[in-house]
Order: sequence, then structure tokens, then C-alpha cells
Amino acid sequence: MDYQTWLYVGIAGGVISIAVAIYLYFWVMRQDPGSERAQKVASWIRSGANTYLKRLYTALASLALILGIVIALIFSFNFENLATTGIVIEPGSGAIMAACFVVGALCSAIAGYMGMRVAVEANVRTATAAQKSLQQAFRLSFYAGSVLGLAMVGLAVIGMSLIFILTGEAHAVLGFSFGASTLALLAKAGGGIYTKTADIAADLVGKVELGIPEDDPRNPAVVADNVGDNVGDVAGMGADIFDSYVASAVAVMLLGASFAVGMQYKYTVIPLILCTLGTFASLLGIQFVKVKEGGKPGAALNRGTIITCLIFVAALLVLSLTEVIEPGIFWSATVGIITGVVIGFTSDYFTNDQYKPVQETARVSTSGSAITIITGFSYGLISIVPSIIGVVIATLLSYYVAVGNGLPGIYGIGVAAVGMLSISGMIVSADAYGPIVDNARGIAEMAGMGQEVIERADVLDSAGNTAKAITKGFSISAAALTVLALFAAYAEVVKANGIDLNISLRDPIVIAGVLLGAMTPPLFSALLMLSVTHNAFDMIEEIRRQFNEKPGILAGTEDPDYDRCVGLAAHGALSSLLLPAFLAVGFPLIVGFVLGPDALGGFLGGAIFTGVIFALLMANAGGLWDNAKKYIETGKFGGPGSEAHKAAVVGDTVGDPFKDTAGPSLNTLITVMSLVASLFAPIIAVFHLF
Amino acid sequence: METHFYLSLLPEALIVSMLSPEEFGSYYAVGSAKKSRGQAMFFEVDPSYRNPYFHTEEALKRCVPHEDGRPKASIYVSVYRVLEHIDPAALMDLHLTTQDGRTLALKASDNLPAGEDGLHLYQEIVPVSPLVVSRLDPVSFYDLIVKNPTSLVSVPAITFTELQLGELASDPEMGMLNNLPYSNPDHLRQCLSDVKTKYVSTKMVDRTHSPVIPYRTIKNGFYVGNQDKLRYYPMPSAEVLRAENYRWFRSASM
Repeated sequence: MDYQTWLYVGIAGGVISIAVAIYLYFWVMRQDPGSERAQKVASWIRSGANTYLKRLYTALASLALILGIVIALIFSFNFENLATTGIVIEPGSGAIMAACFVVGALCSAIAGYMGMRVAVEANVRTATAAQKSLQQAFRLSFYAGSVLGLAMVGLAVIGMSLIFILTGEAHAVLGFSFGASTLALLAKAGGGIYTKTADIAADLVGKVELGIPEDDPRNPAVVADNVGDNVGDVAGMGADIFDSYVASAVAVMLLGASFAVGMQYKYTVIPLILCTLGTFASLLGIQFVKVKEGGKPGAALNRGTIITCLIFVAALLVLSLTEVIEPGIFWSATVGIITGVVIGFTSDYFTNDQYKPVQETARVSTSGSAITIITGFSYGLISIVPSIIGVVIATLLSYYVAVGNGLPGIYGIGVAAVGMLSISGMIVSADAYGPIVDNARGIAEMAGMGQEVIERADVLDSAGNTAKAITKGFSISAAALTVLALFAAYAEVVKANGIDLNISLRDPIVIAGVLLGAMTPPLFSALLMLSVTHNAFDMIEEIRRQFNEKPGILAGTEDPDYDRCVGLAAHGALSSLLLPAFLAVGFPLIVGFVLGPDALGGFLGGAIFTGVIFALLMANAGGLWDNAKKYIETGKFGGPGSEAHKAAVVGDTVGDPFKDTAGPSLNTLITVMSLVASLFAPIIAVFHLF
Repeated sequence: METHFYLSLLPEALIVSMLSPEEFGSYYAVGSAKKSRGQAMFFEVDPSYRNPYFHTEEALKRCVPHEDGRPKASIYVSVYRVLEHIDPAALMDLHLTTQDGRTLALKASDNLPAGEDGLHLYQEIVPVSPLVVSRLDPVSFYDLIVKNPTSLVSVPAITFTELQLGELASDPEMGMLNNLPYSNPDHLRQCLSDVKTKYVSTKMVDRTHSPVIPYRTIKNGFYVGNQDKLRYYPMPSAEVLRAENYRWFRSASM
């Protein structure tokens, strides 16, 4: 089979993946939606989610249109032979790039929308199924999560393959990736701000001030909190991994395009072959995610991940033995996927209450919140070590394995990233399962379902939290490898335009770039977290106002105004995105056009390193504080209401925007900045001040 | 509308109300426009009970619905030294209301719990509210404080509850507190060691301890008595509460 045929196989795989996603969507919709009360509660969440998505996608459509026009204009000018022919105007090139950008954004939006659409229908059905058995509830929620996972990889593979077939240029796929990443950044950051605004406000007034339990329908922010689970963890995380998935493939395609003539096509197509294999592996792997009554959902999710990896590696081996790919590519991709899974599980060590970090943080909470913060933060810093070492090992192994097999080492690193992300269908399915069961628990509580249902939902929710922690570690590490490959791709694009990058730390221009790059992820994190605190402050005032003006809400004789909190969260999240978006897209361009390509290279390096470190620290420290609080709530160190618990609640509140807003958005930030650099590299190579 | 008499323990007061116990608990804990929110404990008092000490009839005259038809939530008949003027036999169910307004009714039991060996922790609620450790079981403690005091200190009537001590009941020095949320545990251990090893049978842990206690720490129930009678209101186990009063249990476990 020639390499062009593989592109059609990829499209076929994508179509099958989407078809299965659609089938699962309708299967979920056919399940029992439960009692009238449960459906009413679910309709509040659905309505809130739809309101947010409508506003988000309206805003993003405007942004995509503006950026599309800018891209169309800029890429209509050909500067390649400026000295000889001057500027050549090619409107077709600009239009193609703009179209790819818009299609990328559209695919990312569709995947996120499909995931949300099924999540807000599956939550109530999962709660209803939990009335019958854990097994049925698990199956329903996981299959619902699979809709997002399978739709995402299907759309990505189809989009990338079709664009490459139609244009024959890897650079056009870069436009697709940039569109997907821009939308992912805003969806993830906006969703993260939304979810934590609602969560923090609901907890601080409801739990801390008034002693109302979690998910109590008397809390005016309870619907916004449940909507936040969807917009943050379904739409946001789905768009985030979609962007990493596409970006890793595009980085390797760009590297492949820089190979010698005659070799280019094969090595440009290989990442798409890997994605196709991963799509089929995920389709098969999800069949193994089953749990028996009384079984452990977490173990079922892990089994599915591991079996998917094994299927992927076996398929790779077959291709290697049949000489479709070189052994170097087989080994690089295998190193990538093994490292991804190992890093994911090491994240679990730092956030699981069975291990020392969480238990120790809970223990020291008896001495007050300051010690809780210091301990959790310190473990968060330590948690960087295994992931970074994992990335180092993956980088070195994939590099030298590739070199040993006659391939450029950097190409091997890119293949490792693609290998890591190839099973994204399975990873995202497990991740999207989390917010569905979290919502199901909330609905069970709000609809007054029995204790047995809530206990089953708790078991499902616990597995969802673990899956979430694993996915975060996985996605951050994958992003690290992806941006390393993108960094190399940027260098290749600059080189293709006649400039050899010279990123020397003895060059003050490069140092300036490195420092500016290193500054960006912390600044970006601060902007997002300040947005959370600012919006949460407004929502806290609103919740207090409702309780003060309507005492009947707490007494249970009056309904709260849920819509007001939903509207506040949505407006606050979207209005907070302007500056972070500029930082991601505009700042690298300013550095590039002012300080030049070398400084931009340094900028990307600085941003990658601090970005990965901050992302790991925030995701793991936040998860650790959350679980330390939950550990105390199981009756350790005085249990609920104790001084240790009060300290742990402070830790958890600090950790909330760490783990669900800033941390997970950082990998998207560094991916977007790397893509901006690569996309605009040909122009920056020509126009720069220094 | 039916009129109810409530003996509130937080604060000590006799109240006439047109609200049912559940509505009164919710009103008292969360429903007041005066923002006087928080945990509530109150007995329902036999409406036929009268004591000339209280101006009951005057209060009943005032307890009429509001102009818009809403029931009157509360008319305070008396505050301060209320418990000592009410016959324990007139006390009906004891209601425990959580901070967010969920109410659980406890019924009196004819059987007092069997005395247990080991140390005890008592939260006095009315008329004073110290936290006390003791070698005495609840009935002996009541006897010492109300009926046969051996010191200068006594009260005419009392409401108190025994709190869990877990392993500290038998091993105050090394036992684990586990899920017990008591502040200043070292001081508690020292007080327990003192009553275990010294001559004193009771020792005050905290003279101004808040009687607003986490319900989950209650060991077996509430005791209310005067010179003539001691009544016991057993607390269901956590398992029973979880199964039969899940919403209250959840609020009380916060």
C-alpha cells in the first residue's frame, strides 16, 4: 500500500470513529432519562451549558473571522524571493491558509460541542442508571465520554488528511492546527475560569458560610458549578487534547517536509499513519472498558488505556515488520506512548490519597493552613521531577533511536510525541467520563435520589477524579514533547527562508527572548487566576444577596435564581480572555518582528521550560490539596469540621484555580505560541528590526 | 393554626410559635430576616403544661398570624432560668437542627444507657455550657451535678450530652483521636489523664465552650433532668441516620 493510500485509510478511520461516536450518542439518548425532577435539574444544567457555549462560540466565531481575514491578507503576500522578484501577491495562498485555519477552529468546536451535547444528556441518564446498578451507570457514562474521544480523533484525522491531500503542503495543515489551538486555548482558559468561579463561590458561601452540603439545590451557584464541570472538563479538555494531538502531528509533518526531495512525502504522511493506527486502537480499546457489579471503575479505565496502548504498539510492529515504517519510527513511537502512560500514572502518585504526599499534607493540616499550603506546594514542585525525567528519557531515547536508524533525531522526538498522543481517543474518553459522573452525582443529590444512588455515583466519581489526574499529567507531558518538535519545525521553517537560527545564550538578543518567554507562562497563569478571583468575588456577592433578600431560599420555600449565577460565570469567563489571548498570539509576534527569529527561538525555549514546569506544579499541587481535604473528610485527623479540615479547605480553594484553570491551560499556551512562531516564521524571517 | 411551645436550648428560652417543629427549626437556623442564623436545639413542650412562673396566656394572646396571613414564628415567653421551671415530664421530642436548617426529631427513651467503664466527655448545654471530662457515667454525672453535689457547685436542672472520646476513653495519653474534631487535643488529653490518675472525678476542659457541637461527635444521646426526674433522648447510630435521615445526616456531617 503506497503512502497516499494511507491517507485515505486515515480518512476511513476517521469516518468510522465519528460514525461510532454518533451511534454511541444516539445509544445514550435512548437510555432512560429518569424522573421528572431529575430531568428538570438536568435541564437547568443543559440550559446553562448551552448559554455558555452559545456565547463562547459566538465570540470565537468573531475572533476566527478576524484572524482568518488577517491570515488571508498576510499569506497572500509571498516574500520568499524578495530580493529578486519583490513581493509577489498570491491571493489563493492566503485564502487556503485562512480556510485551513477556520476549518481547524471549526473541527475543534464541533468536537467540543459534541462532547458537551452528550455530556449534558448523559449526566441525568447516568444518575438514573445508578438507581439500577453501578455497572449500567458506568457503561453509560463511559460510552458518553467516548463520544467526545472518538469524535475528536475522527475529526482531527479527517481534517489533517484531507487538507494534505487537497493542498499537498504540510504548511497548510499548520493553519489547521493553529485554528484548532486558538480555539482550544480560549475554550480551555474560558472553561477553566468559568468552572472555578462557580466552584469557589458556591463552596465559600454555601459550605463555609452557611454549612450547606455540596450540590444542595438551595445554593444559587449549584447549577453554575455543574455547568462548569462540563465547560471546563468536557469542552475545555477535549479542545485542549485535540490541539496537542493535531499540533504534534503537524510538527512531524513539517519536519518530514524538510527531508530531501523524494523522501518528503513519506515522512510527511507517517505521523498521519500513526494517528490512524491510534484511532483504530482506541476504537478497539474502549470495548475492553467494562466493570462488573461491585468492581472498580478506575481499574476498568486503566485496563482500557493499557490495552489500547498494546494494540497500538502491536499495529506499529506489524507496520515495522512489513517495512511501511522504519524500526526507528516504531521505537520512537513506542518510547513516546510508554512514557506518556508512565508519566500519567506518576501524576496519580502525587494526587492519590493512598500515597504519602496526600496523607502527609493532610497530617500537617492539623497545624494550620499555612503549613498545608507550604507542604502541598512543595510536593507539587517535587511532582515535576518524574514527569521531567520522563520527558528527558523520551527525548533522548527517541532522538538516538531515530539517529541510530538513519533518521534525524528531532524527527524521532516528534514521532514520540505523536505516539504519546495517538491514543487520545481512549484518553479523552476516560477523561470526559469524569465530569459526566460528577454531574450525575449532583443530579442525584439535587433530585433527591436515594443514598444508594449517591454512593454508587461517589464510586464512579472517584474513578473520574483519578482519570482526570492521569490525563493532566499525560497531556502536559505530551505538550512538552510536541512543542519540542514544533520548536524544531520552527527552526526548519526559518531555515527554509534562508536564516540559520543561532540560539546562543551569549547573544543578548537571545537572552532577551528567553527571559520574555520564561515570563509569559507565569504571567498568563496570573491573569487567569486573577480572573477567577475577580469573578468569584462578584458571584459571592450575588449569592449572599440572594440569601439575604430571600430567606426562603435557605428555608427551602423559595427557588434561587440559578440563571443569574450562570450568566455571571459566563460573562466573567469570556470577558477575561482578551488579554490572555493577546499574550498567546500577539506577544510571540511582537518578539519575532521586533527582536528577530533568534530571539523568538529563545522566547519559545523560555516559554516551553517555564510553561511545562508551571503546568505540572499547578496541576499536581491543586489535585493534591483537593484530595488531602477529601482524605480528612473520610475521618482522618479530626474529620469534617476539625481544624485540620478547615486548613485543608483553604488548601483546596487555593488549588482549585491551580489545577483546573491555569495549569491545564499552560500546555495549550505553549502550543499556540509555538504554532504562531512556525506559521509566521516565513514573514518574521524577512521582516524584523534586530 | 396550631400553637406549639418550644424550649430552646440555644439560647435557653421558652417560645410560643405557630410553626411545626421542622418549620421552626428551619426558621430558627436559617429563615430569620434578623440574620440570627446557626445550629438550633429545642424540645417541644406539652402545650397543656402550665407553670405560674411563665406568663403563658399573655404570650398565647400575642401569638396570632401576621396581617398577611403568615403564621407567627416566635413569641418569647421567657429567657434565662427556663429549664429549671419546666417539668421534664412535659418535654416531648427533642429536635436537632443543623446549621443549614435540617431538623431531626429524637424521642425520649424509657431506658437509660448502661454505665460504661472508662472516661467520659460531657458537653453541658443548659443552664451553663462548660466542656467537662469525668470518670462518672452519665447518670452518676447527673446525680453529682443536680441531685447530690459533693462540692459547692450544683444546678437545679441540666441538659447535657456525652461526646465521643474514641480511644482516649481508655488511653488518654496514646489513644488516637481519629475523626474527632476537638480543638486543643493536648489539653484534652491532660484533663483526661488528670481524672484518670488523680482523686477528682470531674474536671473542666473549657469553661466557656460553645454548646454548638458537631452532631456527629455525640456518643449516645442527650440527657435532661432536674431534682425529680432524668430523661434520656438516644441518638440513632450513624448508619441508621444515614439510611433513614440522609439529608439531615449529610448536613450534620459537614
